[in-house]
Amino acid sequence: MAEVREKGYHHWNGQLKERYWPFWPITRTGIKLAFQRKRFKFLFACSFIPAISFAVGIYISERLEDFKFMAQGAERALQVNPNFFKTYLTMDFIYFMILLLMALGGAGLIADDFRHKAVQLYFARPLTATDYLLGKAGVVVFFVGILTFLPAVVLLLLKLLFSGSFRFFLDYPWLILSVIFFSAFLMVVFTAFVLLASSLSKNRNYVIAIMFAAYYLSEITRGIFYLIFRTPYSALLSLPANLQQVGAAFFRVKTPYAIPWFLSLTVLSLFCFLAYLLIKRKLRGVEVIK
Amino acid sequence: MTPVIEARNLSRWYGNVLGISEINLDIEPGITALLGPNGAGKSTFMKIITGQLKPNLGQVRIYGQPVWNNREIFRRLGFCPEVDAFYEELNGQEFLTGLLSFYGFGEAECQKRALQALEMVGLQDVARRPIRSYSRGMRQRIKIAQTVAHDPDILILDEPLSGLDPLSKRRVIRLIKEFRLAGKTVVVSSHVLPEVEAMTSEIILIHHGKILARGDIHFIRELLDSHPHMIRIKSPHFRELARLLAGEEYILNITFEPQVSAVVFETHHRDKFYDRLNELILDSDLRLEEITSPDDNLQAVFDYLVER
Amino acid sequence: MKKEILRVFSFYFYSGKKSSRARTFFLLSAASVLMSLVIRAYQLAGNWTESGQVVFQNFLMVFFLQFLIVLLALFYGSSLVVEELDNRTMPYLITRPVRRAAIILGKYLAYLSLATIMLFSSVLLSYLILNLGPEFSLEDLETVIRYSLILWMGLAAYLSFFGFLSTWLKKPILVGLAFGFGWESVIQYFPGTTQKLSVAHYLKSLLPQYTTSGGKLGFLFIRLEPTRPLLAVLILVGIVALFLTLACIIFSYREYLFED
Repeated sequence: MAEVREKGYHHWNGQLKERYWPFWPITRTGIKLAFQRKRFKFLFACSFIPAISFAVGIYISERLEDFKFMAQGAERALQVNPNFFKTYLTMDFIYFMILLLMALGGAGLIADDFRHKAVQLYFARPLTATDYLLGKAGVVVFFVGILTFLPAVVLLLLKLLFSGSFRFFLDYPWLILSVIFFSAFLMVVFTAFVLLASSLSKNRNYVIAIMFAAYYLSEITRGIFYLIFRTPYSALLSLPANLQQVGAAFFRVKTPYAIPWFLSLTVLSLFCFLAYLLIKRKLRGVEVIK
Repeated sequence: MTPVIEARNLSRWYGNVLGISEINLDIEPGITALLGPNGAGKSTFMKIITGQLKPNLGQVRIYGQPVWNNREIFRRLGFCPEVDAFYEELNGQEFLTGLLSFYGFGEAECQKRALQALEMVGLQDVARRPIRSYSRGMRQRIKIAQTVAHDPDILILDEPLSGLDPLSKRRVIRLIKEFRLAGKTVVVSSHVLPEVEAMTSEIILIHHGKILARGDIHFIRELLDSHPHMIRIKSPHFRELARLLAGEEYILNITFEPQVSAVVFETHHRDKFYDRLNELILDSDLRLEEITSPDDNLQAVFDYLVER
Repeated sequence: MKKEILRVFSFYFYSGKKSSRARTFFLLSAASVLMSLVIRAYQLAGNWTESGQVVFQNFLMVFFLQFLIVLLALFYGSSLVVEELDNRTMPYLITRPVRRAAIILGKYLAYLSLATIMLFSSVLLSYLILNLGPEFSLEDLETVIRYSLILWMGLAAYLSFFGFLSTWLKKPILVGLAFGFGWESVIQYFPGTTQKLSVAHYLKSLLPQYTTSGGKLGFLFIRLEPTRPLLAVLILVGIVALFLTLACIIFSYREYLFED
């Protein structure tokens, strides 16, 4: 019997090696695509304005005598301590810029795959759902890390350089760990938030609307409940407020709201867990139409 | 016959990319096929004549009138786009009745026409199902249904047979032929010659935005015939095969590929070659493993035409 | 032209009603109803004596004015043209015997109607839950209708502006976000005529006003310098007319290419 030869197909006798990090190509492509979007680079650059301002603050704090004429009464404001770093990592502007960058570069992470029915293509490869999610999460982690962890570490280094001694680090030896763990916590929360929003629709504009709506609605709800009930527990309803509570706890400073910080941690952790369950449920290779 | 669609010096570009260039064309009632590879400019031309795009140079007229924003023309025009896109939240019936309402038909009339169109394309049983649940072929058919539902005089169909199974293709081709018999003007685009051949003999070859040739199907076939064909045959008896065919007057060249036991024949009479090959296979002990035609495609024909 | 607008309106109102997005935004609008229920339950339990009017004022300013109408207008307005491009359904629309201006106006009215239903039901229900009682009078009903109409005017104005952006820009939602949640919030802190460069200023001129605060931190509070009510209404109508006209003109003459 004649052999069957398929035109253009050749048998490969090599060994199939598993990628060590199968999610990495997804992350790499996601980051590359984000930077290819117009205006993304501009917004990305603008996101570093607070970091630059804080760096200037560190410089001025070390040369307060020289700037005394400009910075009367600023000694207190420019005190570089754990609260200084906590303030940077819990700034509303940073969170707003993260949302804006994710609106441009992250809203379509899962939504575009649904729209173009590309999920089937992913799962036709040796890729698990976890690998897929890790790959997508990697994109958000990258950008959140660049805006939080990286500048915070740079600020620490600048403090070291400008102060010329290790005294600051001897005074607060745990500070670097606070920066690492709180940045990681921010990465997890924003990843859950962005991926959850992205998995809810095929329409990228709709995802952007949901992201901003959910973020601001949580804050509005907090405001309204506080006005009515005058209870600090209304902070548990707001995403940024909960992040500020946890941030204050990580940096061992006074929390902005008079509620136990572990409640905020629980709320956010529960949110991340529920988001994960919902995303996994939404992620199917085949769309089921009822 | 008075042309229905007139294009004069039509040119359109997208930045540095040329869409179409200096197209001069008159399209009369009947079926006219635009044949060309992907990226040839067929869709660009169709978008201009349906008023979706404006030409950078030149003009296009339908029934002597400019097309852009001309509602009277749109009333008599039906367009089937190439893209697979719909209002996904609607079902087939709602999709058709909704689009029909734009023509000013009353609700009852819209329902009646929608059902007729669905029956024409064989989707009456799934009319109430959401479009997002339709298969690829069904989606293509509902697109055709929305093109014909309002009984237009001119049909512009961009790759109408794409995604259809053979039975559905035959149905659609029959439908298109019925439109021609009814005196309508149909412009169809495709990159598959046999499909076009089944619909019409009037073909316009388009490539790199320019019209390469226009004529009936036989003219195209002759072009193919005058362009030498290459046919590659793999066989353990490749040399014997070459010996048997070398004497034929339509064989222009023979090339051996001994490392893979193959021989490549160059001929300008493909039909005669295959007839003779069939005779040889039946009469002798020749065993063939593979027959391929490396240049049996539209691209090769176009490349040849471009080089001429 | 009127018939064409009506046909487009019917099509998009029907398909918009069916979409899952409408359900989501309806639920979002219902957030204030939920909050009202919680507050009213708290009030009925005797834990709180403040009047429902005060609570509703806060809802009005914080939730409806600065959030809901902006969000609804942003999403529906920016979808006016962009959704046809994203979904690649533009050929179905512009090869029909309908004036392009009628497409814009018909879609605008359809989406305005959908958003109005969401807004009105939310406003009415929230107000009734918070204020319904033995002392509820016709005057209260007039109040809620007045608030609803004012918010509706804001919705119409924002929708027309974002609709215009949709005909002009490829990514109107980002510019819309910057305007709706950035510019509209920040500009109100500026004194004098600068305040008048926002839609929110005219809406606040028609609504019950905040008292301004002085002192060292006075600059942090919005110092409303209200426009006369009739003028504010005229300007809002003018905004709608202007941006709808611009949107119709741009859409009528522009060609739209899919991003391949």
